[in-house]
Amino acid sequence: MNQRLIFSGWRIKQKRQLWGYLFVMPAVLFFAVFMLYPMINGIYLSLTTFTLLKPPTFIGLENFVDIFFRDRLFRQSVGVTISFVLGTTIPVWVLSLLIALLFYQRFPGREVLKSLFFMPLLPSLTVVSIVWLVLLNPSGLLTNLLFPLTGTRQIRWLSSIDLTPLMVIVVNNWTTIPFYMIIWLAGLSSIPPVFREAAMVDGASRLVSFWRVELPLLRPTAVLVAAVSTITAFQSFNIQYVLTPNHGGPVDSTTTLGILIWKYGFQFYRMGTAAAVSVVLFVVILLITMLQIKLGRSEEYTI
Amino acid sequence: MNMRLRDGLNQSILTLIALFVAILFFFPIFYMVMTSFEAESNVFSNTVRILPQDFQGLRNYQRAFEIAPIARFFFNSAFMAVVDVIFTVFFCAMAGYGFAKFKFFGRNALFIFILSTMMVPFQILLIPLYVQIQAFGWADSYYGLIIPGLLNAFGVFMMRQFCLGIPDDLIDAGRIDGAGELRIFWNIALPLLTAPAASLAIIIFLWSWNNFLWPLVVVQSQEYITLPVGLTVFAQGFQRQPMWAAAMAVSVMATIPIMFLFIFFQRYFVEGMALSGMKG
Repeated sequence: MNQRLIFSGWRIKQKRQLWGYLFVMPAVLFFAVFMLYPMINGIYLSLTTFTLLKPPTFIGLENFVDIFFRDRLFRQSVGVTISFVLGTTIPVWVLSLLIALLFYQRFPGREVLKSLFFMPLLPSLTVVSIVWLVLLNPSGLLTNLLFPLTGTRQIRWLSSIDLTPLMVIVVNNWTTIPFYMIIWLAGLSSIPPVFREAAMVDGASRLVSFWRVELPLLRPTAVLVAAVSTITAFQSFNIQYVLTPNHGGPVDSTTTLGILIWKYGFQFYRMGTAAAVSVVLFVVILLITMLQIKLGRSEEYTI
Repeated sequence: MNMRLRDGLNQSILTLIALFVAILFFFPIFYMVMTSFEAESNVFSNTVRILPQDFQGLRNYQRAFEIAPIARFFFNSAFMAVVDVIFTVFFCAMAGYGFAKFKFFGRNALFIFILSTMMVPFQILLIPLYVQIQAFGWADSYYGLIIPGLLNAFGVFMMRQFCLGIPDDLIDAGRIDGAGELRIFWNIALPLLTAPAASLAIIIFLWSWNNFLWPLVVVQSQEYITLPVGLTVFAQGFQRQPMWAAAMAVSVMATIPIMFLFIFFQRYFVEGMALSGMKG
Protein backbone atom coordinates (compact mmCIF):
# COMPACT_ATOMS: atom_id res chain seq x y z
CA MET A 1 0.00 0.00 0.00
CA ASN A 2 2.65 2.42 1.12
CA GLN A 3 4.85 1.42 -1.76
CA ARG A 4 2.08 1.98 -4.23
CA LEU A 5 1.52 5.47 -2.88
CA ILE A 6 5.17 6.36 -3.32
CA PHE A 7 5.10 4.85 -6.78
CA SER A 8 2.07 6.87 -7.81
CA GLY A 9 3.70 10.04 -6.42
CA TRP A 10 6.72 9.31 -8.56
CA ARG A 11 4.49 8.73 -11.54
CA ILE A 12 2.70 12.02 -11.06
CA LYS A 13 6.06 13.75 -10.95
CA GLN A 14 7.12 11.98 -14.14
CA LYS A 15 3.88 12.96 -15.80
CA ARG A 16 4.32 16.59 -14.80
CA GLN A 17 7.80 16.60 -16.30
CA LEU A 18 6.36 15.25 -19.51
CA TRP A 19 3.71 17.98 -19.57
CA GLY A 20 6.41 20.59 -19.05
CA TYR A 21 8.20 19.31 -22.13
CA LEU A 22 4.98 19.23 -24.12
CA PHE A 23 4.22 22.85 -23.30
CA VAL A 24 7.61 24.23 -24.28
CA MET A 25 8.34 21.82 -27.15
CA PRO A 26 6.65 23.71 -30.02
CA ALA A 27 8.60 26.86 -29.18
CA VAL A 28 11.90 25.04 -28.67
CA LEU A 29 11.54 23.19 -31.98
CA PHE A 30 10.61 26.38 -33.78
CA PHE A 31 13.65 28.26 -32.51
CA ALA A 32 15.92 25.33 -33.27
CA VAL A 33 14.74 25.12 -36.89
CA PHE A 34 14.30 28.82 -37.72
CA MET A 35 16.98 30.44 -35.52
CA LEU A 36 19.69 28.08 -34.37
CA TYR A 37 20.05 26.11 -37.58
CA PRO A 38 20.15 29.11 -39.95
CA MET A 39 22.60 30.84 -37.61
CA ILE A 40 25.03 27.94 -37.75
CA ASN A 41 24.43 27.55 -41.45
CA GLY A 42 25.10 31.27 -41.90
CA ILE A 43 28.51 30.90 -40.31
CA TYR A 44 29.20 27.93 -42.59
CA LEU A 45 28.02 29.84 -45.67
CA SER A 46 30.37 32.71 -44.80
CA LEU A 47 33.22 30.23 -45.36
CA THR A 48 32.03 29.24 -48.82
CA THR A 49 31.48 30.66 -52.24
CA PHE A 50 27.84 30.22 -53.13
CA THR A 51 25.60 31.64 -55.85
CA LEU A 52 22.37 29.68 -55.18
CA LEU A 53 22.84 27.84 -58.49
CA LYS A 54 25.52 25.35 -57.45
CA PRO A 55 26.06 23.87 -53.98
CA PRO A 56 28.39 25.96 -51.79
CA THR A 57 32.15 25.28 -52.04
CA PHE A 58 34.28 25.66 -48.93
CA ILE A 59 36.97 28.33 -49.26
CA GLY A 60 37.99 28.91 -45.64
CA LEU A 61 38.38 32.52 -44.55
CA GLU A 62 38.72 33.81 -48.11
CA ASN A 63 35.50 35.89 -47.90
CA PHE A 64 36.69 37.66 -44.75
CA VAL A 65 40.12 38.37 -46.22
CA ASP A 66 38.29 39.68 -49.26
CA ILE A 67 35.96 42.09 -47.50
CA PHE A 68 38.58 43.36 -45.05
CA PHE A 69 41.48 43.86 -47.44
CA ARG A 70 40.21 44.06 -51.01
CA ASP A 71 36.62 45.19 -50.92
CA ARG A 72 36.35 49.00 -51.20
CA LEU A 73 32.56 48.88 -51.01
CA PHE A 74 32.67 47.08 -47.67
CA ARG A 75 35.10 49.61 -46.23
CA GLN A 76 32.96 52.49 -47.46
CA SER A 77 29.88 50.81 -46.07
CA VAL A 78 31.48 50.52 -42.63
CA GLY A 79 32.10 54.27 -42.73
CA VAL A 80 28.54 54.99 -43.87
CA THR A 81 27.16 52.78 -41.12
CA ILE A 82 29.27 54.35 -38.39
CA SER A 83 28.32 57.89 -39.35
CA PHE A 84 24.66 56.84 -39.52
CA VAL A 85 24.95 55.26 -36.06
CA LEU A 86 26.55 58.40 -34.61
CA GLY A 87 24.10 60.69 -36.37
CA THR A 88 21.09 58.83 -35.05
CA THR A 89 21.91 57.45 -31.60
CA ILE A 90 23.30 60.55 -29.91
CA PRO A 91 20.70 63.11 -31.07
CA VAL A 92 17.91 60.58 -30.54
CA TRP A 93 19.08 59.85 -27.00
CA VAL A 94 19.23 63.52 -26.04
CA LEU A 95 16.10 64.72 -27.83
CA SER A 96 13.88 61.83 -26.76
CA LEU A 97 14.92 62.41 -23.14
CA LEU A 98 14.26 66.16 -23.35
CA ILE A 99 10.84 65.60 -24.93
CA ALA A 100 9.99 62.94 -22.33
CA LEU A 101 10.87 65.44 -19.59
CA LEU A 102 8.70 68.04 -21.28
CA PHE A 103 5.65 65.76 -21.41
CA TYR A 104 6.34 64.57 -17.87
CA GLN A 105 5.40 68.07 -16.65
CA ARG A 106 1.84 69.18 -16.15
CA PHE A 107 0.39 71.74 -18.51
CA PRO A 108 -2.90 72.34 -20.31
CA GLY A 109 -3.32 70.35 -23.54
CA ARG A 110 -0.65 67.84 -22.59
CA GLU A 111 -2.52 64.68 -23.60
CA VAL A 112 -3.64 65.98 -27.00
CA LEU A 113 -0.19 67.30 -27.88
CA LYS A 114 1.42 64.06 -26.71
CA SER A 115 -0.87 62.06 -28.99
CA LEU A 116 0.02 64.27 -31.96
CA PHE A 117 3.69 63.89 -31.14
CA PHE A 118 3.32 60.08 -31.08
CA MET A 119 1.92 59.94 -34.61
CA PRO A 120 5.22 59.24 -36.46
CA LEU A 121 5.30 55.92 -34.56
CA LEU A 122 2.33 54.57 -36.44
CA PRO A 123 3.20 54.42 -40.15
CA SER A 124 5.62 51.73 -41.30
CA LEU A 125 9.14 52.80 -42.24
CA THR A 126 8.15 52.33 -45.89
CA VAL A 127 5.25 54.76 -45.54
CA VAL A 128 7.48 57.17 -43.62
CA SER A 129 10.06 57.06 -46.39
CA ILE A 130 7.49 57.60 -49.14
CA VAL A 131 5.99 60.60 -47.36
CA TRP A 132 9.46 62.10 -47.03
CA LEU A 133 10.17 61.33 -50.69
CA VAL A 134 7.37 63.78 -51.45
CA LEU A 135 8.45 66.36 -48.85
CA LEU A 136 12.06 66.16 -50.04
CA ASN A 137 11.38 66.17 -53.77
CA PRO A 138 13.78 68.63 -55.48
CA SER A 139 10.81 70.96 -56.00
CA GLY A 140 8.82 69.75 -53.02
CA LEU A 141 7.47 71.51 -49.96
CA LEU A 142 10.74 71.83 -48.07
CA THR A 143 12.46 73.47 -51.03
CA ASN A 144 9.58 75.91 -51.37
CA LEU A 145 9.52 76.68 -47.66
CA LEU A 146 13.20 77.53 -47.75
CA PHE A 147 12.94 79.54 -50.97
CA PRO A 148 13.01 82.95 -49.21
CA LEU A 149 16.33 81.92 -47.63
CA THR A 150 18.00 79.98 -50.42
CA GLY A 151 16.56 81.66 -53.50
CA THR A 152 16.46 78.39 -55.38
CA ARG A 153 13.52 76.28 -56.54
CA GLN A 154 15.56 73.09 -56.88
CA ILE A 155 17.36 71.43 -54.00
CA ARG A 156 18.68 67.91 -54.53
CA TRP A 157 17.90 66.65 -51.04
CA LEU A 158 18.08 63.00 -52.02
CA SER A 159 20.50 62.89 -54.91
CA SER A 160 23.63 64.64 -53.69
CA ILE A 161 26.39 62.86 -51.84
CA ASP A 162 26.49 65.51 -49.10
CA LEU A 163 22.81 65.96 -48.37
CA THR A 164 21.39 62.47 -48.77
CA PRO A 165 23.11 60.77 -45.80
CA LEU A 166 21.99 63.70 -43.65
CA MET A 167 18.39 63.42 -44.86
CA VAL A 168 18.35 59.69 -44.11
CA ILE A 169 19.39 60.55 -40.55
CA VAL A 170 16.71 63.26 -40.26
CA VAL A 171 13.96 60.92 -41.44
CA ASN A 172 15.15 58.13 -39.16
CA ASN A 173 15.28 60.40 -36.12
CA TRP A 174 11.88 61.88 -36.86
CA THR A 175 10.26 58.46 -36.70
CA THR A 176 12.29 56.97 -33.83
CA ILE A 177 12.33 59.84 -31.32
CA PRO A 178 8.66 59.32 -30.32
CA PHE A 179 9.36 55.66 -29.73
CA TYR A 180 12.33 56.19 -27.41
CA MET A 181 10.40 58.96 -25.70
CA ILE A 182 7.83 56.30 -24.68
CA ILE A 183 10.61 54.26 -23.11
CA TRP A 184 11.99 57.28 -21.23
CA LEU A 185 8.49 58.15 -20.06
CA ALA A 186 7.97 54.59 -18.78
CA GLY A 187 11.29 54.88 -16.91
CA LEU A 188 10.43 58.29 -15.49
CA SER A 189 7.04 57.22 -14.19
CA SER A 190 8.55 54.17 -12.49
CA ILE A 191 10.56 56.41 -10.17
CA PRO A 192 8.72 56.69 -6.86
CA PRO A 193 7.83 60.37 -6.28
CA VAL A 194 9.24 60.02 -2.74
CA PHE A 195 12.72 60.59 -4.12
CA ARG A 196 11.93 63.88 -5.80
CA GLU A 197 9.93 65.07 -2.81
CA ALA A 198 12.80 64.23 -0.48
CA ALA A 199 15.21 66.19 -2.67
CA MET A 200 12.79 69.14 -2.70
CA VAL A 201 12.46 69.08 1.06
CA ASP A 202 16.24 69.16 1.28
CA GLY A 203 16.10 72.35 -0.77
CA ALA A 204 17.36 71.01 -4.08
CA SER A 205 16.28 72.92 -7.16
CA ARG A 206 14.37 71.17 -9.95
CA LEU A 207 17.50 70.88 -12.06
CA VAL A 208 19.71 69.56 -9.27
CA SER A 209 17.04 67.09 -8.23
CA PHE A 210 16.84 65.78 -11.79
CA TRP A 211 20.60 65.59 -12.26
CA ARG A 212 21.40 64.11 -8.88
CA VAL A 213 18.36 62.01 -8.05
CA GLU A 214 16.31 61.06 -11.08
CA LEU A 215 18.97 60.58 -13.73
CA PRO A 216 20.98 58.03 -11.71
CA LEU A 217 17.76 56.10 -11.10
CA LEU A 218 17.08 56.20 -14.83
CA ARG A 219 20.34 54.47 -15.58
CA PRO A 220 18.79 51.20 -16.82
CA THR A 221 16.52 53.18 -19.15
CA ALA A 222 19.43 55.31 -20.34
CA VAL A 223 21.46 52.21 -21.18
CA LEU A 224 18.45 50.53 -22.81
CA VAL A 225 17.76 53.50 -25.09
CA ALA A 226 21.44 53.80 -26.03
CA ALA A 227 21.82 50.08 -26.72
CA VAL A 228 18.58 49.50 -28.61
CA SER A 229 19.08 52.57 -30.78
CA THR A 230 22.68 51.58 -31.55
CA ILE A 231 21.73 48.01 -32.41
CA THR A 232 18.84 49.02 -34.68
CA ALA A 233 20.99 51.73 -36.31
CA PHE A 234 23.66 49.18 -37.19
CA GLN A 235 21.01 47.12 -38.98
CA SER A 236 19.29 50.03 -40.71
CA PHE A 237 17.86 49.01 -44.07
CA ASN A 238 14.29 50.02 -44.76
CA ILE A 239 14.64 53.81 -44.91
CA GLN A 240 17.76 53.65 -47.08
CA TYR A 241 16.12 51.14 -49.41
CA VAL A 242 13.06 53.26 -50.12
CA LEU A 243 14.32 56.81 -49.67
CA THR A 244 17.58 56.82 -51.61
CA PRO A 245 18.19 56.39 -55.35
CA ASN A 246 19.26 52.87 -56.39
CA HIS A 247 18.77 51.57 -52.82
CA GLY A 248 21.77 53.07 -51.02
CA GLY A 249 22.85 55.76 -53.47
CA PRO A 250 23.86 58.19 -54.71
CA VAL A 251 27.19 56.43 -55.35
CA ASP A 252 26.65 54.17 -52.34
CA SER A 253 26.80 57.14 -49.96
CA THR A 254 23.95 55.58 -47.92
CA THR A 255 24.85 51.92 -48.38
CA THR A 256 24.81 50.73 -44.78
CA LEU A 257 25.92 47.21 -43.87
CA GLY A 258 22.25 46.20 -43.90
CA ILE A 259 21.89 47.38 -47.51
CA LEU A 260 25.24 45.80 -48.40
CA ILE A 261 24.15 42.35 -47.18
CA TRP A 262 21.02 42.61 -49.31
CA LYS A 263 23.00 43.85 -52.33
CA TYR A 264 25.57 41.08 -52.16
CA GLY A 265 22.93 38.46 -51.52
CA PHE A 266 20.05 39.44 -53.77
CA GLN A 267 21.53 41.70 -56.43
CA PHE A 268 24.92 40.08 -57.05
CA TYR A 269 23.97 36.60 -55.76
CA ARG A 270 27.22 36.39 -53.81
CA MET A 271 25.64 34.58 -50.86
CA GLY A 272 29.01 33.66 -49.31
CA THR A 273 30.20 37.28 -49.21
CA ALA A 274 26.81 38.43 -47.93
CA ALA A 275 26.96 35.83 -45.15
CA ALA A 276 30.47 37.00 -44.23
CA VAL A 277 29.28 40.61 -43.93
CA SER A 278 26.42 39.48 -41.72
CA VAL A 279 28.81 37.55 -39.47
CA VAL A 280 30.85 40.75 -39.02
CA LEU A 281 27.67 42.67 -38.23
CA PHE A 282 26.64 39.97 -35.78
CA VAL A 283 29.91 40.21 -33.87
CA VAL A 284 29.54 44.00 -33.59
CA ILE A 285 25.98 43.69 -32.32
CA LEU A 286 26.92 40.95 -29.88
CA LEU A 287 29.63 43.18 -28.39
CA ILE A 288 27.14 46.03 -27.93
CA THR A 289 24.64 43.66 -26.32
CA MET A 290 27.25 42.41 -23.89
CA LEU A 291 28.23 45.98 -23.04
CA GLN A 292 24.57 46.77 -22.44
CA ILE A 293 24.16 43.82 -20.09
CA LYS A 294 27.27 44.89 -18.20
CA LEU A 295 26.29 48.56 -17.89
CA GLY A 296 22.58 48.09 -17.55
CA ARG A 297 22.38 46.46 -14.15
CA SER A 298 19.98 48.65 -12.28
CA GLU A 299 21.20 50.53 -9.26
CA GLU A 300 19.66 48.99 -6.20
CA TYR A 301 17.43 51.24 -4.21
CA THR A 302 15.15 50.70 -1.29
CA ILE A 303 12.46 52.84 0.18
CA MET B 1 -1.43 84.77 -5.79
CA ASN B 2 1.89 85.82 -7.27
CA MET B 3 3.03 82.21 -7.09
CA ARG B 4 -0.06 81.04 -8.95
CA LEU B 5 0.46 83.64 -11.63
CA ARG B 6 4.02 82.46 -12.12
CA ASP B 7 2.90 78.84 -12.28
CA GLY B 8 0.31 79.78 -14.88
CA LEU B 9 2.95 81.57 -16.94
CA ASN B 10 5.32 78.60 -16.70
CA GLN B 11 2.55 76.28 -17.80
CA SER B 12 1.71 78.40 -20.82
CA ILE B 13 5.35 78.40 -21.85
CA LEU B 14 5.39 74.61 -21.53
CA THR B 15 2.25 74.36 -23.64
CA LEU B 16 3.85 76.55 -26.30
CA ILE B 17 7.01 74.45 -26.44
CA ALA B 18 4.98 71.25 -26.54
CA LEU B 19 2.82 72.69 -29.31
CA PHE B 20 5.92 73.44 -31.36
CA VAL B 21 7.31 69.92 -30.84
CA ALA B 22 3.96 68.29 -31.60
CA ILE B 23 3.54 70.26 -34.86
CA LEU B 24 7.07 69.40 -35.95
CA PHE B 25 6.42 65.70 -35.50
CA PHE B 26 2.80 65.65 -36.64
CA PHE B 27 3.13 67.81 -39.73
CA PRO B 28 4.45 65.18 -42.21
CA ILE B 29 1.53 62.90 -41.31
CA PHE B 30 -0.90 65.76 -41.81
CA TYR B 31 0.77 66.58 -45.12
CA MET B 32 0.45 62.95 -46.22
CA VAL B 33 -3.31 63.03 -45.63
CA MET B 34 -3.74 66.40 -47.35
CA THR B 35 -1.68 65.40 -50.39
CA SER B 36 -3.74 62.25 -50.80
CA PHE B 37 -6.66 64.55 -51.72
CA GLU B 38 -4.68 66.82 -54.05
CA ALA B 39 -4.65 66.71 -57.85
CA GLU B 40 -1.59 64.90 -59.15
CA SER B 41 -0.40 67.89 -61.20
CA ASN B 42 -0.44 70.15 -58.13
CA VAL B 43 1.71 68.00 -55.84
CA PHE B 44 4.89 69.81 -56.82
CA SER B 45 4.49 73.47 -57.64
CA ASN B 46 6.32 76.71 -57.02
CA THR B 47 4.21 77.72 -54.08
CA VAL B 48 4.05 76.63 -50.49
CA ARG B 49 0.96 74.48 -50.59
CA ILE B 50 -0.30 72.57 -47.60
CA LEU B 51 -4.05 72.23 -48.06
CA PRO B 52 -5.18 70.71 -51.36
CA GLN B 53 -5.86 73.39 -53.96
CA ASP B 54 -7.76 71.12 -56.29
CA PHE B 55 -9.63 68.83 -53.95
CA GLN B 56 -10.05 65.39 -55.53
CA GLY B 57 -12.24 63.61 -52.99
CA LEU B 58 -11.42 59.92 -53.09
CA ARG B 59 -10.23 59.88 -56.70
CA ASN B 60 -6.60 59.25 -55.80
CA TYR B 61 -7.72 56.36 -53.63
CA GLN B 62 -9.63 54.85 -56.54
CA ARG B 63 -6.72 55.42 -58.89
CA ALA B 64 -4.36 53.62 -56.52
CA PHE B 65 -6.39 50.45 -56.92
CA GLU B 66 -6.06 50.76 -60.70
CA ILE B 67 -2.29 51.30 -60.63
CA ALA B 68 -1.44 48.24 -58.51
CA PRO B 69 -3.34 45.30 -56.97
CA ILE B 70 -3.65 47.12 -53.65
CA ALA B 71 -6.53 44.94 -52.47
CA ARG B 72 -4.36 41.87 -52.85
CA PHE B 73 -1.47 43.53 -50.98
CA PHE B 74 -3.88 44.45 -48.23
CA PHE B 75 -5.21 40.95 -47.95
CA ASN B 76 -1.68 39.48 -47.81
CA SER B 77 -0.56 41.89 -45.10
CA ALA B 78 -3.68 41.29 -43.04
CA PHE B 79 -3.47 37.53 -43.48
CA MET B 80 0.17 37.44 -42.43
CA ALA B 81 -0.41 39.73 -39.45
CA VAL B 82 -3.43 37.81 -38.16
CA VAL B 83 -1.77 34.40 -38.50
CA ASP B 84 1.38 35.75 -36.82
CA VAL B 85 -0.63 37.19 -33.93
CA ILE B 86 -2.67 34.03 -33.30
CA PHE B 87 0.30 31.68 -33.41
CA THR B 88 2.64 33.93 -31.46
CA VAL B 89 0.23 34.62 -28.65
CA PHE B 90 -0.91 31.02 -28.30
CA PHE B 91 2.44 29.25 -28.53
CA CYS B 92 4.33 31.89 -26.54
CA ALA B 93 1.73 31.67 -23.78
CA MET B 94 2.04 27.89 -23.85
CA ALA B 95 5.84 27.94 -23.70
CA GLY B 96 5.85 30.69 -21.09
CA TYR B 97 3.44 28.65 -18.97
CA GLY B 98 5.59 25.53 -19.35
CA PHE B 99 8.74 27.37 -18.33
CA ALA B 100 7.09 29.11 -15.39
CA LYS B 101 4.96 26.36 -13.90
CA PHE B 102 6.66 23.02 -14.54
CA LYS B 103 9.93 21.58 -13.33
CA PHE B 104 11.73 19.38 -15.81
CA PHE B 105 15.24 18.39 -16.67
CA GLY B 106 16.96 20.97 -18.88
CA ARG B 107 14.36 23.66 -18.27
CA ASN B 108 16.80 26.48 -17.61
CA ALA B 109 19.05 25.51 -20.49
CA LEU B 110 16.11 25.52 -22.92
CA PHE B 111 14.86 28.84 -21.60
CA ILE B 112 18.28 30.45 -21.92
CA PHE B 113 18.52 29.05 -25.44
CA ILE B 114 15.27 30.78 -26.42
CA LEU B 115 16.27 33.99 -24.66
CA SER B 116 19.61 34.10 -26.42
CA THR B 117 17.92 34.04 -29.82
CA MET B 118 16.58 37.49 -28.90
CA MET B 119 20.10 38.80 -29.34
CA VAL B 120 20.35 37.54 -32.90
CA PRO B 121 19.47 40.35 -35.29
CA PHE B 122 17.34 39.33 -38.24
CA GLN B 123 19.91 40.45 -40.77
CA ILE B 124 22.25 37.68 -39.68
CA LEU B 125 19.53 35.17 -40.54
CA LEU B 126 18.52 36.75 -43.82
CA ILE B 127 20.85 34.82 -46.15
CA PRO B 128 20.80 31.38 -44.46
CA LEU B 129 17.06 31.56 -43.80
CA TYR B 130 16.42 32.37 -47.44
CA VAL B 131 18.60 29.44 -48.52
CA GLN B 132 16.75 27.18 -46.09
CA ILE B 133 13.27 28.32 -47.17
CA GLN B 134 14.26 27.76 -50.77
CA ALA B 135 15.46 24.27 -49.94
CA PHE B 136 12.08 23.59 -48.30
CA GLY B 137 10.44 24.71 -51.54
CA TRP B 138 8.70 27.54 -49.69
CA ALA B 139 10.19 30.53 -51.55
CA ASP B 140 7.57 32.76 -53.11
CA SER B 141 4.65 31.33 -51.14
CA TYR B 142 2.62 32.06 -48.03
CA TYR B 143 4.59 29.35 -46.23
CA GLY B 144 7.89 31.10 -46.81
CA LEU B 145 6.38 34.48 -46.05
CA ILE B 146 4.70 33.58 -42.79
CA ILE B 147 6.21 30.51 -41.13
CA PRO B 148 9.65 31.90 -40.16
CA GLY B 149 7.90 34.67 -38.20
CA LEU B 150 5.37 32.56 -36.35
CA LEU B 151 7.02 32.66 -32.95
CA ASN B 152 8.92 35.25 -31.12
CA ALA B 153 11.48 34.88 -28.32
CA PHE B 154 10.44 38.12 -26.70
CA GLY B 155 6.89 36.76 -26.52
CA VAL B 156 8.05 33.63 -24.70
CA PHE B 157 10.02 35.73 -22.24
CA MET B 158 7.16 38.12 -21.62
CA MET B 159 4.60 35.35 -21.14
CA ARG B 160 6.87 33.49 -18.75
CA GLN B 161 7.23 36.63 -16.62
CA PHE B 162 3.46 36.97 -16.35
CA CYS B 163 2.92 33.23 -15.80
CA LEU B 164 5.24 33.40 -12.78
CA GLY B 165 2.59 35.59 -11.21
CA ILE B 166 -0.14 32.95 -11.47
CA PRO B 167 -0.55 31.39 -8.00
CA ASP B 168 0.39 27.68 -7.85
CA ASP B 169 -2.59 27.07 -5.58
CA LEU B 170 -4.92 27.97 -8.40
CA ILE B 171 -3.33 25.39 -10.68
CA ASP B 172 -3.30 22.73 -7.96
CA ALA B 173 -6.95 23.43 -7.23
CA GLY B 174 -7.67 22.67 -10.87
CA ARG B 175 -5.70 19.44 -10.62
CA ILE B 176 -7.55 18.35 -7.49
CA ASP B 177 -10.82 18.98 -9.29
CA GLY B 178 -9.61 16.53 -11.87
CA ALA B 179 -8.92 18.90 -14.74
CA GLY B 180 -6.26 17.82 -17.24
CA GLU B 181 -3.17 19.96 -17.77
CA LEU B 182 -4.37 21.32 -21.11
CA ARG B 183 -7.70 22.25 -19.59
CA ILE B 184 -5.96 24.03 -16.72
CA PHE B 185 -3.87 25.96 -19.22
CA TRP B 186 -6.88 26.85 -21.34
CA ASN B 187 -9.44 27.57 -18.61
CA ILE B 188 -7.33 28.87 -15.74
CA ALA B 189 -4.01 30.23 -17.01
CA LEU B 190 -5.00 31.80 -20.34
CA PRO B 191 -7.84 33.94 -18.95
CA LEU B 192 -5.37 35.39 -16.42
CA LEU B 193 -3.01 36.33 -19.25
CA THR B 194 -5.47 38.49 -21.19
CA ALA B 195 -3.76 41.84 -20.51
CA PRO B 196 -0.20 40.82 -21.42
CA ALA B 197 -1.57 38.81 -24.35
CA ALA B 198 -3.27 41.95 -25.64
CA SER B 199 -0.03 43.93 -25.43
CA LEU B 200 1.84 41.12 -27.16
CA ALA B 201 -0.82 40.79 -29.85
CA ILE B 202 -0.65 44.49 -30.67
CA ILE B 203 3.13 44.61 -30.84
CA ILE B 204 3.22 41.49 -33.04
CA PHE B 205 0.54 42.90 -35.32
CA LEU B 206 2.58 46.08 -35.67
CA TRP B 207 5.81 44.19 -36.45
CA SER B 208 4.09 41.93 -38.91
CA TRP B 209 2.09 44.63 -40.68
CA ASN B 210 5.17 46.82 -41.06
CA ASN B 211 7.69 44.05 -41.80
CA PHE B 212 9.72 44.84 -44.87
CA LEU B 213 13.03 43.05 -45.36
CA TRP B 214 11.84 39.44 -45.21
CA PRO B 215 8.75 39.90 -47.44
CA LEU B 216 10.97 41.85 -49.84
CA VAL B 217 13.36 38.97 -50.43
CA VAL B 218 11.21 35.89 -49.96
CA VAL B 219 8.32 36.78 -52.25
CA GLN B 220 8.40 37.86 -55.90
CA SER B 221 4.99 37.25 -57.42
CA GLN B 222 2.26 39.85 -57.00
CA GLU B 223 0.01 37.22 -55.46
CA TYR B 224 2.00 37.21 -52.23
CA ILE B 225 3.44 40.73 -52.02
CA THR B 226 2.57 42.58 -48.80
CA LEU B 227 1.61 46.21 -48.48
CA PRO B 228 4.97 47.73 -47.40
CA VAL B 229 6.75 46.05 -50.32
CA GLY B 230 3.91 46.80 -52.71
CA LEU B 231 4.11 50.46 -51.75
CA THR B 232 7.63 50.75 -53.12
CA VAL B 233 6.10 50.27 -56.60
CA PHE B 234 4.71 53.77 -56.24
CA ALA B 235 8.03 55.21 -55.20
CA GLN B 236 9.98 53.65 -58.04
CA GLY B 237 7.58 53.98 -60.92
CA PHE B 238 7.27 57.74 -60.77
CA GLN B 239 9.27 58.39 -63.93
CA ARG B 240 6.56 56.79 -66.05
CA GLN B 241 3.71 58.92 -64.78
CA PRO B 242 3.17 61.10 -61.78
CA MET B 243 1.45 59.16 -59.02
CA TRP B 244 2.56 60.76 -55.81
CA ALA B 245 -0.96 61.64 -54.73
CA ALA B 246 -1.97 58.01 -55.26
CA ALA B 247 1.09 56.92 -53.29
CA MET B 248 -0.05 59.16 -50.44
CA ALA B 249 -3.52 57.62 -50.65
CA VAL B 250 -2.09 54.10 -50.28
CA SER B 251 0.13 55.31 -47.44
CA VAL B 252 -2.91 56.63 -45.62
CA MET B 253 -4.76 53.35 -46.15
CA ALA B 254 -1.76 51.35 -44.92
CA THR B 255 -1.64 53.41 -41.74
CA ILE B 256 -5.36 53.35 -40.92
CA PRO B 257 -5.39 49.85 -39.27
CA ILE B 258 -2.55 50.87 -36.97
CA MET B 259 -4.23 54.17 -36.23
CA PHE B 260 -7.31 52.24 -35.11
CA LEU B 261 -5.24 50.03 -32.82
CA PHE B 262 -3.59 53.09 -31.37
CA ILE B 263 -6.85 54.92 -30.73
CA PHE B 264 -8.75 51.99 -29.21
CA PHE B 265 -5.96 50.17 -27.38
CA GLN B 266 -3.58 53.00 -26.57
CA ARG B 267 -2.71 51.55 -23.17
CA TYR B 268 -1.71 48.10 -24.52
CA PHE B 269 -0.02 49.74 -27.47
CA VAL B 270 2.27 51.90 -25.36
CA GLU B 271 2.80 49.11 -22.84
CA GLY B 272 3.78 46.62 -25.52
CA MET B 273 6.30 49.02 -26.98
CA ALA B 274 7.78 49.97 -23.64
CA LEU B 275 8.05 46.30 -22.63
CA SER B 276 9.58 45.01 -25.82
CA GLY B 277 11.92 47.95 -26.27
CA MET B 278 11.38 47.65 -30.00
CA LYS B 279 9.33 49.38 -32.62
CA GLY B 280 9.85 46.76 -35.26
